[in-house]
Amino acid sequence: MLPVAVDAMGGDNAPGPILAGAHEAAAAGVPVVLVGPSDLAGRVTADGGELDLIEASEEIGMHDDPAQGVRRKKDSTLVRAAEAVRDGKASAMISAGNTGATMAAALLRMGRIKGVKRPAIATPIPVPGATPTVLLDAGANAEVQAEWLVQFALMGSVYAKHRFAIEKPRVGLLNIGEEPGKGDSLRKEAYHLLAAAPNLNFVGNVEGRDVMTADLDVCVTDGFTGNVVLKTLEGAMKTVIGALMDAFVAEEHYKPHADALMPALVPLYESLSPDTYGGATLLGVDGVCIIAHGSSSPTAIVNGIDVARSMVDQEMVAEIREAIASSAI
Amino acid sequence: MEQGPIGRDEIFAIVRDRLVDILEIEPSTISEGQSFVDDLDADSLALIELVDGLEEDLSERTVGFRIDDEDLEDLKTVRDAVDYVFDRSK
Repeated sequence: MLPVAVDAMGGDNAPGPILAGAHEAAAAGVPVVLVGPSDLAGRVTADGGELDLIEASEEIGMHDDPAQGVRRKKDSTLVRAAEAVRDGKASAMISAGNTGATMAAALLRMGRIKGVKRPAIATPIPVPGATPTVLLDAGANAEVQAEWLVQFALMGSVYAKHRFAIEKPRVGLLNIGEEPGKGDSLRKEAYHLLAAAPNLNFVGNVEGRDVMTADLDVCVTDGFTGNVVLKTLEGAMKTVIGALMDAFVAEEHYKPHADALMPALVPLYESLSPDTYGGATLLGVDGVCIIAHGSSSPTAIVNGIDVARSMVDQEMVAEIREAIASSAI
Repeated sequence: MEQGPIGRDEIFAIVRDRLVDILEIEPSTISEGQSFVDDLDADSLALIELVDGLEEDLSERTVGFRIDDEDLEDLKTVRDAVDYVFDRSK
């Protein structure tokens, strides 16, 4: 397969953890090509070779305006990575840099899949003991139309099917109650469209408390709400885990009990870690684009590259194209 | 790509082709008097896709061609875009 283009300069701590992740992925057999400056250090591999490089002299910063950054910095790592996918030099791209700019670069260079009104960010939300729930849109579109939510549902279903091997993903519309008449006018209209959509396993309205349960596979919402949900869950999990760790050491005699629980808690902690899932996927663009967390560790980058490889191998984009084309939306 | 000055008709054709691609509409439905927002249902993202595409199309013909972001809000109709590009590409 063609290599996965890795934005070497994107991320809070780039290029260190990005390069480490790229090396690990390459060593595991996934072809990668770095996108970075010509003098990028750290490309030499353990066997004395070096990772391939697509040269890019500019960077789009975390606080740069996304659209302006992409339009003005045409030799940036993000733009060159997206162009590599468009031009058939790479099979997919991954960046831990500016999320908005990653979306803009993918949209403007790869283009939208025909018929897709707006791309959406799909993020796996961990569910203890079960496959994650795919939340979308997690922040690409603050304002949406009801028809877009139906497209998000279609794209999210294809993603869940490939990513988590769920044959008929259960799709829920995030709302403030389960009854069909609940919510604002957008949610009411979207409910009817989703219920009437063929090829969707729509299970009705769901509430925030359902997102991290095994009752749901795809949770559809607008990007504003989705981003609030995502950040709330991330913050809450961090707070709960921190409080738990504090409780374990609050008294000296708690320690052996805490130690005894660790074999069960460590895997649980890992299953809840965003690093495990390797980032979000931008659905609706004509190529595979992984948006990794700005603070991604090498493990997160390895997993993100592997997700990209898997999406390419399974031809997810082609299936999204078919799903959109066969829907009347 | 052909070099040299670009005629106004050719610029309209370039703008029209980009709009066809972005908005997924028939070329015959696009005319110069149409408003991007009111007639063509183009949102702000579509306009960014349009100007980015026009810069790509025209950069080889007119070295350094670019559309300033602050000018975007003045481009209300297809004619505005064609006139803007025509003036800038002379």
